[in-house]
Amino acid sequence: MKEVALRFENIRIPGLKDEGLTLEIHAHTAATVLGSESSGVDVLGRYALALLRPSAGRVLVFGEDISQMTRSAALAFRRRVGYLPADIGLLHNLSLSDNVALPLQFGSSMSEREIEGRLRIMLAQLRLTDVAKRRPADVTEEQRRRAAVARAVAFDPSLVIMEDPFDGMTTRAAAELLEIVRGGETPEGSRRTVFITGRSLPQSLEPRIETHYKIARGRLNVRT
Amino acid sequence: MTAPVRAVGRGVARTIALIGALARFFIRTLDAVRTLPRAGRRVTARVLVKQIWFTALQTIPLIIILSSILSFLVISQAVRELGRIGATEYIGRLMVVVIVRELGPLLTAALVASRSGTAIAAELATNKVMGEMNALEGMGIDPLHYLVLPRFGAVVLSTFGLTILFDLVALFAGLVAAMSGMSPERYFDIVLQSLTFLDVWVTLVKGLVFGAIVGLISAFHGLRISGKPTEIPIASSQAVVGSIVAIFIGSGLFVLLSI
Repeated sequence: MKEVALRFENIRIPGLKDEGLTLEIHAHTAATVLGSESSGVDVLGRYALALLRPSAGRVLVFGEDISQMTRSAALAFRRRVGYLPADIGLLHNLSLSDNVALPLQFGSSMSEREIEGRLRIMLAQLRLTDVAKRRPADVTEEQRRRAAVARAVAFDPSLVIMEDPFDGMTTRAAAELLEIVRGGETPEGSRRTVFITGRSLPQSLEPRIETHYKIARGRLNVRT
Repeated sequence: MTAPVRAVGRGVARTIALIGALARFFIRTLDAVRTLPRAGRRVTARVLVKQIWFTALQTIPLIIILSSILSFLVISQAVRELGRIGATEYIGRLMVVVIVRELGPLLTAALVASRSGTAIAAELATNKVMGEMNALEGMGIDPLHYLVLPRFGAVVLSTFGLTILFDLVALFAGLVAAMSGMSPERYFDIVLQSLTFLDVWVTLVKGLVFGAIVGLISAFHGLRISGKPTEIPIASSQAVVGSIVAIFIGSGLFVLLSI
């Protein structure tokens, strides 16, 4: 029986009129919840990070009810979870490498030297070394997204939450990023638990995602 | 008939609400010093140093120019006018009260507000418009820790340091202006005799308080926007106007308290 990494219980969202949303994401798996703009799937990532509190129901992350957390506990919890927001959210006045380094500098006990080493590895893995000193406005959309992925996984979190992560990307680039976020394979499955929300997903990525939830016509459909 | 009363009432209520929101923001900013995570101190210190570079070091030439021109104009006129009635010893008190204690902190803070306050408000408003606040929160980084606290601290320290610089430059520019009517020894003698411990104390406290006012109001207006790009210039304008009005009111309160 796999550990439950993320559980939504009776969450009210516009896409499910008659019932609350209840679903589970198992540890070491990747899961998507897809739905139209009006379905309300885009708030699930923020519920899972306690950035928003649901009006009803609760969200459990590794068994802990995060809606009960104090602000400082919520901030400390988020420093252990990778997050890629829909609008990427890179700081416009920092270079790509400084953006990637930020969660390491703020949320880890690593020394400057260790952070630099980790940074070099991440930038090389995401193929950003040549543009690392440029600011977000001076690089392509794909490079911005790569930098946001590097920032989300730089401190090696066990859970990564992504909102519309592959929007506007080629299938090949999307597949590459998904593999980096999964972080390799272990006997239990992927090394990290990956939770993706959004409108759609490139079809070729589906085999690399263990659980697919879709909200359509007022119902939650699941496919594994 | 009651419309003007209602309009005045609404204005007063808005002002009280604004002051309340500013007070809460100030308390949260001070509390951010306590809650800043150990790992984040290095990054916050780096942002603070960078902001001091923009706010203090890049402003030094401007402070030197403004302070020396102002002091030269006031003291050269005073030497001429007071010399006619044989009262040049009052130049010392004039220099200390008008320039060192009143105009020095006031003009320095106004300059910091118009130069850095607008930039801080615009930068924080841009952070908000571009979804960077949400991203910071999502990474577990409190925007107060990373964006507000270092900028607030840098503006306080910069305004304090620039006020001291303004006054020192003014003292020496005053000397140049006074040399047409008295010797350097006489000038320093009457200026230093006029300078009391209270004058120095009030000037330094003003530097800190006015810096806190500019830092606080600028960050407050930058973060107050709802997230539309059109609000960025409005935030900048509100930051500079609000800061200058608050500095002038503060200056008046200092005068009332010292009477």
